[in-house]
Amino acid sequence: MSIRVAAVADIHLDPAQRGSYRAHLDGIEERADVLLVGGDLTRHGTLDEGKIVAEEFQGLPVPVVFVLGNHDYHSDAEQEIIAVLRESGGIVLDDSAETLLDGRLGVAGGKGFGGGFAGKSASEFGEPETKAFVRHTREIADRWRVALKSLDTEYRVVLSHYSPVKETLAGEPPEIFPFLGSYLLAEAVDAEGADLIIHGHAHAGTEKGMTPGGIRVRNVALPVLRRAYATYCLDSEEC
Amino acid sequence: MDTPHYVAARVQQAIAEDGRTNELGIRVDVRGDQLFLRGQVSGEDQLHLLTDVAREAAPGLTVHNEVTCVEVRDPGEEEHL
Repeated sequence: MSIRVAAVADIHLDPAQRGSYRAHLDGIEERADVLLVGGDLTRHGTLDEGKIVAEEFQGLPVPVVFVLGNHDYHSDAEQEIIAVLRESGGIVLDDSAETLLDGRLGVAGGKGFGGGFAGKSASEFGEPETKAFVRHTREIADRWRVALKSLDTEYRVVLSHYSPVKETLAGEPPEIFPFLGSYLLAEAVDAEGADLIIHGHAHAGTEKGMTPGGIRVRNVALPVLRRAYATYCLDSEEC
Repeated sequence: MDTPHYVAARVQQAIAEDGRTNELGIRVDVRGDQLFLRGQVSGEDQLHLLTDVAREAAPGLTVHNEVTCVEVRDPGEEEHL
């Protein structure tokens, strides 16, 4: 049986926009079975902004799964933001996995991180700062493998903020690709298998791409979509 | 007078790091005494704050704010995967 996944990222809510996004979510239960929100929920990563995000998505008739983005880390309040989102009924992935829809859908993921893409990426070599940067992504990718392995569901979707592939960055300056994603994320998902990878972060990028292993990737950053959310139906034979 | 290249870099950095804006995807170009901002933001307030931050970071230049607001439309059609 098919599953319809709604997805958006980079909504960047602040007090001036309270209530503005919620209006677009009316009737979502007729379009989708689940809503995935791929990070950069806030502008400055403050707890107050986190509370606005929690209010905006609270009480929806479909489950809502979040990951945080780099903006949500800016004020060192990421754990508090995660807590308010969970208190409001949201599911927050932090390099973890959740099973939804009576065991039919597994969602794994987290923020992700950068480093660049195969052949043109940073290495765990040299100064401690460089090594720490690359190690952060490597450790995230390792945790995603574990998270994906834990899922025994009909469909598996990965939710990230940073991109696993270059294709969905098309439109961004190539010089900043290493700050927009890493091939290590795609490599991990290709090894474990998934039906779809959702990400955001690249506002000037492109919606559609694919991993080297053939898994569909969708950049759902709001400025890329220019619509409230995208909807993807898994299992085209029944869609 | 500062080299335009470095002025543009300074303004871009200010727009990314200033708490009023924190916008990472704004392109900044300087031509003579004219400064151009391009990109997209989510709201009108953000649009005006970009001009303020750019003016403060590059006093003496005329700021042309060509940034647009993202218009959020209805969800539209679903894609079958």
